[in-house]
Amino acid sequence: MYWASKQEITANSVNYPAENKNVVLNGIDYLQSQAPIGKFGGELVISTIGEGPKTFNPCNTKDSTSATMAEMMYDGLLSTDARTGMVVPQLAKSFEINGNEYLITLRKGIRWSDGKPITADDVIYTYKDIVFKGLGNTATRDAMMIKGELPQLEKIDEYTVKFSTPAPFAPFLRQLSYPIVPKHYFEPYSKKGESVFNSFLTPNTSPAEIVSSGAFCLKKYVAAQRVVFERNPNYYKINLDNKQLPYLDKVVYLIVGDTNNEILKFEAKETDMISLRGSNVARYKLKEPKSDYKIYNLGADTGTLFLVINLSNRKNQEGKWNVSPTKQSWFRNKNFRTAIDWAIDRNSMINNVAQGVAKPLFTAESLNSIYLNKNIKGHSVDLSKAKLCLNEGGFSLKNGNLYDSSGNRVEFDLYTNAGALERESVGVMIKEDLEKLGMKVNFKPIEFNTLVNKLSNTNDWDMAIMGLTGSPLEPHDGKNVWLSTGPLHLFNQRGQNSLNNGVFDWENELDEIFEDGALKLTYEERKLVYDRYQEIIYEQKPIIYLYSPIRIVALRQKFKNIYPTPLSGLVYNLDEIYIDRESE
Amino acid sequence: MNLFGYICKRIVQTIPLLVIVSLISFFIIRLSPVDPIAELRLNPSISQETLQKEIKRLNLDKPITIQYMSWAKSFVRGDLGFTTEGEKVSVKLKERILNTLLLTSVVIFMTWIVGIPLGIMSAYKKESSFDRILTILASIGMAVPSFFLAILMLIFAVKTGWFPVGGLTSYNFDDMSFFAKVFDISKHLVLPVIVLFTISLSGLQRQMRANMLEVLDSDYIKYARAKGLSEFKVVLKHALRNAVNPMITLMGFEFAGLLSGAALTEYVFQYPGLGRLILEAVMRSDINLVMASLMMGTIMLVVGNLLADILLMITDPRLRGKS
Repeated sequence: MYWASKQEITANSVNYPAENKNVVLNGIDYLQSQAPIGKFGGELVISTIGEGPKTFNPCNTKDSTSATMAEMMYDGLLSTDARTGMVVPQLAKSFEINGNEYLITLRKGIRWSDGKPITADDVIYTYKDIVFKGLGNTATRDAMMIKGELPQLEKIDEYTVKFSTPAPFAPFLRQLSYPIVPKHYFEPYSKKGESVFNSFLTPNTSPAEIVSSGAFCLKKYVAAQRVVFERNPNYYKINLDNKQLPYLDKVVYLIVGDTNNEILKFEAKETDMISLRGSNVARYKLKEPKSDYKIYNLGADTGTLFLVINLSNRKNQEGKWNVSPTKQSWFRNKNFRTAIDWAIDRNSMINNVAQGVAKPLFTAESLNSIYLNKNIKGHSVDLSKAKLCLNEGGFSLKNGNLYDSSGNRVEFDLYTNAGALERESVGVMIKEDLEKLGMKVNFKPIEFNTLVNKLSNTNDWDMAIMGLTGSPLEPHDGKNVWLSTGPLHLFNQRGQNSLNNGVFDWENELDEIFEDGALKLTYEERKLVYDRYQEIIYEQKPIIYLYSPIRIVALRQKFKNIYPTPLSGLVYNLDEIYIDRESE
Repeated sequence: MNLFGYICKRIVQTIPLLVIVSLISFFIIRLSPVDPIAELRLNPSISQETLQKEIKRLNLDKPITIQYMSWAKSFVRGDLGFTTEGEKVSVKLKERILNTLLLTSVVIFMTWIVGIPLGIMSAYKKESSFDRILTILASIGMAVPSFFLAILMLIFAVKTGWFPVGGLTSYNFDDMSFFAKVFDISKHLVLPVIVLFTISLSGLQRQMRANMLEVLDSDYIKYARAKGLSEFKVVLKHALRNAVNPMITLMGFEFAGLLSGAALTEYVFQYPGLGRLILEAVMRSDINLVMASLMMGTIMLVVGNLLADILLMITDPRLRGKS
């Protein structure tokens, strides 16, 4: 049952095609896919859980479903290589970096789906009138802000633009993957201000009207049922035969309410792909030889599950302690936190809760991150080491109960959000593990919103089991968590009026790292810095990481040009995937 | 004129009811600890500024009474407002209303067409083996929870492959010819209709049987029989007319259920109806959407009762005399 360690589903070894090339054909700068030539036609039916997209406006997506769908229709200047995670050109033909200047050359002659050319004006419009003005989702604008200043942008000629940042700032380059939108279609709406722009391109917009640049255009949206995309005839990517991609005529997203329905739809052959979890993995693996699908192991995903300890030593506005002084002396004691880490049995969690479909996690970066510190090996559970740490920290065991040096019984609350079955089971296991050390753990699953309020507002909690999704490409995205002044600095949250109060030395070092890391420009330099941040978290253990789920996906065998990567998943290259009718 | 005055009076009486219902539901939803932007708060890449903007946009920074007043003001003007995602509530509802109406009206029509005759027959042949079998079937139908039956049906669909697994249309629906479209929708409707039909039929059949039994036992039926009328005339002309009055009241309630009666079944079958929309809206405290649907439900209930009362005035001479 322990798929992760025994490698029963091996990471599928495939020969990846070489990187895309720029090819000039009839005066047009195409991007050429190096994947084997496929056949045109057919459709891929995928399911999406939830209520479906909320908007098709790529500048205003706030949930992952809307973002995925907008991404199909709108490409950015730059993109990420699916395997290496490095920045590669997309709508841009090439880019050059000189210190804080970024010179971007666009492809000549490529067109929007309505036939109008894609030019520097669209780029200037997208950044100046939408991103910098803070229309729609402001995450990109926030990330581009360096010391309170936005970058400068100028048009050199019809196909060249130049960005200059106020200071060299490494995370900036990746922000250029922001989707470029057609000026001639968007401008009438963005001019009318925020409220008009926010309700622009709702799912009910007539599909014929939507102008896009990506591999697919919207064909039809049916509320609570499906979203149908059809191939964009003006797409700028070609195959080795110099024919315009994509191969598929249609990509259909069925909107389903929950995982059970998703599985039924796959089994009834209504969909072509499904993400498997828990016990379903074993069942599907057993049926695989006689089926028409193939199972892919994509490795650990970006999700992390962790135990966070409240190190706060502050009082709230009414003058009450967030955490009582007795508990503060435990939680702020490094030996105490280390003992907890040694006592937690990650492997039995993985076997019992995640049904073996997970990997133990010890680092703040997720396992597929390109900045993962591979020197942090982690450890297995060791109760004697845990007890040693507690001794060193001045705790003592009497009749199986743990007492601190002033004779207080060690007892605290452990929260998680009720209804999240996985977290509840993990909580029960942590409680059992810690009770072996003589601690008394009151495990309290509470309503999600109440928990969020405790963590981000009132700060009156002891420990909590939580999960966050990080970026596998850019550690700087985690700054809200790691900066001591960050609004999501869970383990030592400060109010707006006590930002500099009671900072640990290692928190200061983290602050420096996150400031420094953004200013270093090469991957190697940044890797060194971010390796250190993961070391600090592993040593100090304000957050104890537990495990990362492994993504297992089943896809019908008839689909070809499938090159799974841990970073991007299975069908990231929708434009290259084709259907081989013979293998149906 | 008399009838018109009666209707006006009833409509005026509805207003305080609507106010009370809206007050109670608004406050219950807003005072529950569901935070519409909890997800955003936990997203590491969302800045404090964006959070503040969202709070402002959703009016969460204002006291609850002011929130209610601004909602009520626009509701009276006929503006249902926007969902938390910024879509128009009226558009969202419109997308789903027809789907739900299609499902519920098919079910109600079938239930009444089958349920009333079955009720009459089992009352007439009281304690025969026909009646006993129907009683057993009806008890089963009433006892089985709708979601459970729905899940059984879904498993049936997956195992046999005869019916699609949930939804209302196939993914290639738009490329079909007209007749293929009709066939596609019917195929998708079969299973949810069976579930809802089984469950409501049992109740209706029992109700009709009970009404009929009561009437068949009464003196005037004995008198009609003694007069030498044919059994056919006794049952259909004299008994049925009197037994059907309580059913008309019931029809009023069924009318209210037209838009909201099938939420659980809709959810299991992933049917793109109102019920599923509202269920999902309640989960994330999408106040305008939930309020709109609650008000709609209340209005439907009032209108249904009003219609039933008017029908009763027509069928029941005693009521006509009183008003």
